[in-house]
Amino acid sequence: MTTTPTVPTTAAGKTVIPRDEDPRNPRLRLEQLFDPGTLELITAEDDSGMLAGIGRIEGAASVAFCSDATIQGGAMGQAGCAVVLTAYERALADGIPVLGLWHSGGARLREGVVSLHAVGEVFAIMTRASGKVPQISVVLGPAAGGAAYGPALTDVVILGPEGRVFVTGPDVVRSVTGEDVDSLRLGGPEPHGRRSGVVHVVAETQDDAYVEARRLAALLGDQRDLGEVEDRDLSSYLPDSPKRAYDVHPIVEAMLDEGSSLELHPKWAPNVTTTLGRLGGRTVGVIANNPLRLGGCLDSASAEKAARFVRMCDAFGVPMVVIVDVPGYLPGVGQEWDGVVRRGAKLLHAFAECTVPRVTLVTRKAYGGAYIAMNSRSLGATRVFAWPGAEVAVMGAVAAVRILHRRRLAEVADDVRGQVEQELAVEHGQLAGGLSRAQEIGVVDELVEPTRTRSAIARAIVTSAEYGRRGQHGNIPL
Amino acid sequence: MRGVSVAEEIRAEMVANVWKVVVAQGDSVESGDTLVILESMKMEIPVMSESDGTVAALHVSEGDVVQEGDIIAVIE
Repeated sequence: MTTTPTVPTTAAGKTVIPRDEDPRNPRLRLEQLFDPGTLELITAEDDSGMLAGIGRIEGAASVAFCSDATIQGGAMGQAGCAVVLTAYERALADGIPVLGLWHSGGARLREGVVSLHAVGEVFAIMTRASGKVPQISVVLGPAAGGAAYGPALTDVVILGPEGRVFVTGPDVVRSVTGEDVDSLRLGGPEPHGRRSGVVHVVAETQDDAYVEARRLAALLGDQRDLGEVEDRDLSSYLPDSPKRAYDVHPIVEAMLDEGSSLELHPKWAPNVTTTLGRLGGRTVGVIANNPLRLGGCLDSASAEKAARFVRMCDAFGVPMVVIVDVPGYLPGVGQEWDGVVRRGAKLLHAFAECTVPRVTLVTRKAYGGAYIAMNSRSLGATRVFAWPGAEVAVMGAVAAVRILHRRRLAEVADDVRGQVEQELAVEHGQLAGGLSRAQEIGVVDELVEPTRTRSAIARAIVTSAEYGRRGQHGNIPL
Repeated sequence: MRGVSVAEEIRAEMVANVWKVVVAQGDSVESGDTLVILESMKMEIPVMSESDGTVAALHVSEGDVVQEGDIIAVIE
């Protein structure tokens, strides 16, 4: 802190930063978000604690509002909440994305219940806008209480390095529960990026937080047409052994146009990946099982994560590509008690109600209940592709024969049991029919070579009757 | 914790058999290197280091069964 006489200080000796240079000045923050020189304020620069404007992001119009953290730590009162309502009404009228830059301790204590009522009205308009216009939140500083639930109601939450999200801060936690925790561990990037699922994107720097917000606004608000798609050999990312787990990220990256991918929730429920990006220039959403994590099993958290992503894509008319390599649902007491049935049902519901084009690609295997959940034909997939050699079955053949032929296997000698299992598995595979049977009954439409997959998927999307449709529902934060 | 190095505990994400142990205590590893390969859900699942460092401790041997949350290795 400088204390040279030329710098004005408060009575407490605190340096007063000129407003135009204060990095917390909401106008400066809005200017950083929009394309240079495009910000047009739509509310007054006053002491309301909020400021809103309209501007352009990569050329496309968006609305944004920003907490004024220079006044009462950005606390939200009646006037500040009215600014947010103005921003939302404009976004809804123009049908354009709305972005919130948050740095606020919550409701203004001094205004009492009036401020609670006003914050509640913000929640209500966010919910009314849900699924109609994309809503993106960038948490730049502390966002507590009402300022935590504001972002939480939106489609995507980005957390900057100084961002902290919690209902009650460390002091209250300490006095009520006795837990000694700092704000970083309570509501920083680690807990929200990895454990709670509150935050979709963790930004390393404040500048990155703006960059990611701009990319998301462009992906959701300016989806563009599907143009030329070049093919690549997507199978080169699979390991030789069909039993070996691998990281699915390179396949997702290669599926999308180069440098276009933006993964949501990368560290939370990482056994399924949810990624926005472009295919042939058009925004698409990619959902993929990641065998490297939990063997790629679906579990309660990943089903919920995927369900929310599906509903967001559907609400905004974003076509989906579903890359399937799933051994099943994760078994266990923990999973059942964690509501894998209830939360897994969300994914079934999300896909079954979906109206946008959604193409499934089975790369290696799709077993059991998880096969159904991963955008199967029965749930209304636009088209189901499989790579040659992929397996679609109730379970793996060896596991199946162990159940079907339990008695016979118990009778054979230990040293030949493995061999008998293999023989029965081959026989079972022929009976169950494998991929050709799956095609015969129509649950797989077509085998596609990995070298032709990108163009085949792109064609299936643009030629489908669902192309251009979008779901008529909100995007509840599942 | 010694000096400025931060220990990273690698834990099992699910119940599994330890199929292969790839590294030994004292080996230096990079982020993304395979430490052990587990066998679960009929799959071989590599467990990788999430940081650069040295294998300070290795808590499993081939054939062990690990439960969710068990420490597999410590990287420093």
